[in-house]
Parts: sequence; C-alpha cells; structure tokens
Amino acid sequence: MGQKGFFTDTTVCIGCKACEVACKQWNQLPDDGFHFTGMSYDQTGALGASTWRHVAFVERPVPMPGVSTAIADFSWLMMSDVCKHCQRAGCLEACPTGAIIRTEFDTVYVQPDVCNGCGYCVAACPFGVVSRREDDGRAWKCTLCYDRLGEGLTPACAKACPTESIVYGDLDDLHARAEARVEALHARGLTEAYLYGKDAANQPGTGGLNAFFLLLDRPEVYNLPPDPVVPTMKARESWTAVAMGALGMAVAALGAVWLGKERRG
Amino acid sequence: MTRPQEPHETLLDVLQRKRDGRNVDPSMGVLSGEGAQQRVKTLERAPGVQPSGDGALLPPGAPSYYGLPAIKEPVWIASVPTYLYVGGVAGATSVLGFAAELIGGAWLRGLARRCVWVGMAGDMLSAGLLIHDLGRPERFLHMLRVFRPTSPMSIGSWVLAASGAFNTLALLVGHRGGWPGTVGRAAGAGAALLGLPLSGYTAVLLTNTAVPLWQSMHRSLPLFFMASATAASGSLLSLLPHPRHEAPVLRAFRVAGKVAEVATRIAVERDAARVPEVARPLREGLPGALWTASKVCAGAGLLLELLPRRTSGVATAANVLTSVSAVAARFAIFHAGKVSSRNPQATFQGQRQGLGAAEVTGHTVASDGKPLKFPLPVVR
Repeated sequence: MGQKGFFTDTTVCIGCKACEVACKQWNQLPDDGFHFTGMSYDQTGALGASTWRHVAFVERPVPMPGVSTAIADFSWLMMSDVCKHCQRAGCLEACPTGAIIRTEFDTVYVQPDVCNGCGYCVAACPFGVVSRREDDGRAWKCTLCYDRLGEGLTPACAKACPTESIVYGDLDDLHARAEARVEALHARGLTEAYLYGKDAANQPGTGGLNAFFLLLDRPEVYNLPPDPVVPTMKARESWTAVAMGALGMAVAALGAVWLGKERRG
Repeated sequence: MTRPQEPHETLLDVLQRKRDGRNVDPSMGVLSGEGAQQRVKTLERAPGVQPSGDGALLPPGAPSYYGLPAIKEPVWIASVPTYLYVGGVAGATSVLGFAAELIGGAWLRGLARRCVWVGMAGDMLSAGLLIHDLGRPERFLHMLRVFRPTSPMSIGSWVLAASGAFNTLALLVGHRGGWPGTVGRAAGAGAALLGLPLSGYTAVLLTNTAVPLWQSMHRSLPLFFMASATAASGSLLSLLPHPRHEAPVLRAFRVAGKVAEVATRIAVERDAARVPEVARPLREGLPGALWTASKVCAGAGLLLELLPRRTSGVATAANVLTSVSAVAARFAIFHAGKVSSRNPQATFQGQRQGLGAAEVTGHTVASDGKPLKFPLPVVR
C-alpha cells in the first residue's frame, strides 16, 4: 500500500478548476449553486462539506520573474487546495467516536456511517478543511479518493489535472520530484519557490503533510497558516493545569468542611 | 423543511434549491460516490466577500486571502456554553459532597445528600445539552464507541457518563445500611473523583482546537473554569434552601472559588493579550460586553461577600451575581472564540509571533522558511 499523497505544484496551475469539477462528479457531491463571491475568479471561496478541492486565485501587485504581463507590477498565483492528510491530523486526534481513521494508504478518512456530528474535528483542524453540513449533520472532507485508491486508480482531481499541477503518488517519489522541481525553479531565477509542509522538519506542528505544496509567496497569501500546529501538541500543559486545579478544588472542599466543623466547635 | 425565500433570491436560486445538482437519474445510474449520501436541504453558499476598493490587492504588512477566515468557525450552539456552566457546577458539587461525607460525619449528611442530588441532576442535564448539540443526535452512543486519550471530548464523554452513573447509584443506595450503603458511598467517592476532571476538562476541550483565542489560553483556562465552577457551585448550593449550620462550609467553599476566579481570570486575559488580534473579541462587540459584565459581576459578588455585616438579601445578591458571572464568562469565551476564528489575522499573527507549533517545539522558522516574527520585512 505505502504512503500515498498529493504534490501540488502551484507554479503550473492554470486555474482551470478541472480538479474541482472532477472531485464533485466522482464523489457525487451536491451542488453549491451559482453565486458571485466578488473575489477574483474564485467563486468557490473555501473548502467545505461539499467542496473537497478549491482553487485559490491570488492577484499580486508584484511581478513574477520570467513572466511578462501587460501590467508591469502584476502576477497571478493559483493554488488547488485540498485536505492535507497530515501526519499528525488534528481532526483524527480530536474525533471522539473513532469515525476518523488513518487508512492503509496513510490518508485520513471520515467514516460517514460512524460520525455523529459532534463538530470537534471542525474546530480542531488547523487548516479549516473539515466542515459539518447543517442539513446533513455530519463532518465531510476529501477522502483522497479512498474508493479509487482501493482499485488502484489515481484520485479524480490528479487524473483530471491537465498540467500535472496535482501529482498523486508514493510520498517518497513525490518528495524527490518536488525537490527537483524547486531546484529547477531556483536555477531559473524563481528563488521564492519553496515546499510547504513537505516533512516534519519543514512543519513540526503537523509532522509533515501527505498533500504538500510548492508555493511562491508567504503561506498567508494562499490562506495557509504559517506555523500550523495540531492542537493536541499543547494538551499536556492543559491537563497539567487541570491536575493543579483538581488539587486546589479538593483542598478547597476538604478545607471548607473542616473549617465549618471548627466553627461549630 | 424549506428555507424561507430570501429577499434577494432570484428565480435561479429558487430553481437550484429544488435539485441538489447531482443530476443522477436513479433509473439510469447509481448514487454510490463517497459524498453521495450527503443530505441536502439547501445548497451551501460560498463564503462571499464584499469587494472593497483595493481589498483585492494585498496590504503589505498583514497578508491574507481576501480577508477570508483561515480556519472553520466552530459549529457548536448555545447548549455548549450552557453545558460548560452546568457540567462545571455538577463536578464541583460532587467534590464538595464527598468531602462532607468523608470528614463531615453525621452533622453534614444533609449537605452530602443534597450535593449528590445536584450532581446527578447536573450530569443528566449536561448529557441532554450535549446530545442536543450533535449533528446526528440519534448516534449519541457512538461517543462511547471508543476511548481516545488524545481527544478531550472522548475523555469527557466517559467522565460524564461514569459520573452520572456514580451519582445516580449514590443517590439510590447511598443512604441505606449494609453493603448497599457501602456501594453507594463508594459510588459517591467515584463521582467526586470524576467531578474534579469534569469541572476542568471542558477548558481543555476548548483550548485543544485551532481557534486562536481558545488555543492561546491553553495553560490558564482550565484553572479559570475550575475556580469559577467552585464559586458557582458554592453559590448555587447557598441559594438552595439549607440549614444554618451548613452556611460556614458553603461560605468557605464559595469564597475560595471566588478569590481563585479573580486571580485566574487575570492569567486568562494575560495569555490572550499576547497577540492583540487574538484578544480583540474579549474587548469588542457582544462577547466583549459579556466578558466585561462577567468581570463586574464577579467583582461585585466577591465584594459583597467581604462586607462586614451581611443581611440575607446581600448574601443572596452575592450568590446571584457570582452565578451570573460564571454563565456570562462561559458564553463570552465561547463567542469570542468564534469571532477570533473568523479573523485570519488572529491565526496568522499568533503563529508568526511564535505561538503556533513553535510554542511547543521551539523552532525558529515558519513553514515558508522565513524567521518567525511579525510583521515580516517587506521586500520590494
């Protein structure tokens, strides 16, 4: 089976949204209607219960080396966003029902027949990926096409991508490919290029992402957090505080009873 | 259940809502995709933004994606902050009840028994409030399907379920003689032992999320919730009819809680204030007003407590004020957290200041390889 994932190279994304359509069609996700968001060419807005791929369109007032446009100080950034299938997944570690599991492909999967809609994964995801649909009551997100992977097929988005901006494969192969690509871009003068969330060294808070990205600007520009952390990493200190509070509360209760007794004489 | 037609809705919107867009004729094809079983009543809307002049272009210091939220807003409803109060009081009351049983002797038997009643009622009400919040309430038993130590909600579900069972058992057989009484008293001990985490785990549940305001309080909020639960439990028991000889016990318990509450509230505010964007919802808007009201009520409740001569009216006022303060504080923190989750800068700036993963791992560069500090130097 091995570790599977996505490498999304944003430098070759042309913003065609074929991944969004392929994802919707294959997974038979409900329609979102036609609404005008008023921001660039992005009418999808964000990932959600019925949107498992989302193409972000960033218009920058900065030129791109090697790219000439009619406007002097302008360049496009496009990125197909998706669930990151983190090595340490906030949603999985928060799920109290065991609905969220790690599959044999090392991906993170929500079992719809188990999820009871507690909403904890929604708040626990540092990337704002998981979403609970109000009509449905359950949490939904990208499955990394769990049903296709089982049949040895490529996920629908990667299959549909016309420029190989979305590449699916074994994580080791993807890492090698991504590093080679960054080197090639650096050689061409695009020194801003870097890999976001490739491994634990790059992103200690998540232990690395199975769906990682090649970006050209700060993560915030793509609506990605600059230093995401699986909330569970900070839980030890919180539980220590609970233990201290428990000690205090026990002392207060016993002390109150003892004091009351003393008063009585 | 159809949504009432919104004034700006077009005919196209109305027609769209009649279909979910999957367009699969059941006689021709099958609905078997991973998302095929997703129930649809109304179509989900994209999070639209108001185009505002040059808003599409990035301001240099504080980049974001059109100001859209970086994380999802928690979907929890008002029954959750209500539970934060009810569960906290139930837990603290169980603790006091067992202390009275353990060292109070026959003299405080009445108080111990009343505490078991309050604890049991609180546990039952808590379970109801939490089930009401679920997206699929009929699956509430799935909470006890596994035990996941990394999930405060899993731990809390087990604590609440066991605490409710212990309190019920203590109530049913705790007053009898012989072995049933022994079992009942053991159950009371169990409920008290679980009451300690019950009054504090809810804070871990909130801070163990990506919500910037809640996460920023991950060291102090448990202490604040537990102190506030102690004060609220003492106040509630004092408001309930009780014999005179119990008054000094209840007073000592609630005063300890009130003093600790004031101290831990300062710690909570200091934790949040490390990042101005994170702390903002505690000062502004409805959550800010609730937080201020909670502060004023807590202060007044403590001051009235320390007056040299207290009539029964003043004592009642102090207890009511402290209870109101506890409820308001929970609603304030709950809603302020929701507001902070909608502000991408609360997420981004905190992480750039080293309060993301760096707070735990101590690394010095962000995921883009740039040093952690905010705002970033602007290179042109």
